Amino acid sequence: MPTATLERRQVDWRSMTTNSTDESVVDLSTETEDQRRARFERDAMQYVDQLYSAALRMARQPSDAEDLVQEAFAKAYASFHQYTPGTNLKAWLYRILTNTYINLYRKRQREPKRSSTEQVEDWQLGGALGHQEPALRSAEAQALDHLPDSDVKRALQSIPEEFRLAVYFVDVEGFPYKEAAEILGVPIGTVMSRLHRGRKQLRGMLSEYAAERGVDVNARARTADKSARAKEQEK
Amino acid sequence: MNEDCLKLGDCTDTRLERIYEYLDGALSRSDLQTVQEHLSTCEECSAQYDLECIIRSVVRRSCSETAPQDLKSRIMVRIDEIRVEGSSHQGSSH
Repeated sequence: MPTATLERRQVDWRSMTTNSTDESVVDLSTETEDQRRARFERDAMQYVDQLYSAALRMARQPSDAEDLVQEAFAKAYASFHQYTPGTNLKAWLYRILTNTYINLYRKRQREPKRSSTEQVEDWQLGGALGHQEPALRSAEAQALDHLPDSDVKRALQSIPEEFRLAVYFVDVEGFPYKEAAEILGVPIGTVMSRLHRGRKQLRGMLSEYAAERGVDVNARARTADKSARAKEQEK
Repeated sequence: MNEDCLKLGDCTDTRLERIYEYLDGALSRSDLQTVQEHLSTCEECSAQYDLECIIRSVVRRSCSETAPQDLKSRIMVRIDEIRVEGSSHQGSSH
C-alpha cells in the first residue's frame, strides 16, 4: 500500500537539480575536450569526499575504496558527454560508483564471507522497538547519541550489503526513494523493503551497542538525578 | 499506545513505517498533517521519532569521511591518461 502512494509523490528525477553552479549553461556540441575536462573538474570533482564515504561502505578496505572511487571517476569522465547538464550530477556519479562496485569488486569479494545475509537475520527485528518505557527510551537515545563512530560503522557494516546501501543512500545521503532506486538499479519497492529491513537491523544493532555502553549513561543519569534531588532538599 | 496512535497504523511496525516516511519526506499532504498532529500529542510516538532522528544523525556523522588528500590529483592524472589514450586512438579531434 505505501509503495503506490509513495510512487505517485516522488520528486521527479529530472527535476532534481541540486547543483547550484551554472553547469546547465553548456553547449555540448561545441564543447572542446579541454572545456569538458574543466567542467568535469569543476562540477564532478567536488563529490570526491562523498563518493569516497560511500565507497567505504562498499569496499571494506580504504585502499579498495580509493581504487573504486578512482575507477568510478574515470568511467564518469569517459561518459561525461552522456550526462545531461542540469540533472542530478551527484546521483549520476553514485550510479556509476555503484555499478563499478558491482562489476569490479563484489565479484572479487564473493568469498565464503557471503553469509552476512544469513548471519544477521531478523533476530534483532523488533528487539529495540516499542516495548520500552519512554523514560528508558530517552536513556537509550542518549546512549545512542554518544556511540563512537567506530561502533556505528561496525553496525552498518554488519547488516547485509543490499540493506546497507539502501540505508546509506536514503538516510545518509538523503536521496528520495526513487533516486535511490535509480542509483541501485532496482525497483522502488525493492528499495523500500531493503530500507525497511536495513533500518530495523541497524537499529537493533545500535541499540545493542548502546545498551552495552549504556550502563555508564544510566549510572550517570542516576547520579545526576541524585544530586539534583539532594540540591532540592538543601533548599 | 493510545487510541490516537491508530491513526498512524494498527501495529507498531506500521506506525514506525509512517514515522520513517515522515522523516523521508515521502508522505502526502494529508498524511503529513495526520502524522504531525499525532507526534505533537503522543509521547510514545514522538519518542520513536526522536530516536530515529538521533540514529540518522549518528549514522550521518559516522559516515562522513574525507578522501585522502592526493586522491583528487590521482583521479585527474588518470583522466588525463584517458584523454591521451583517447586522442592517440582517434586522432587529435572528433
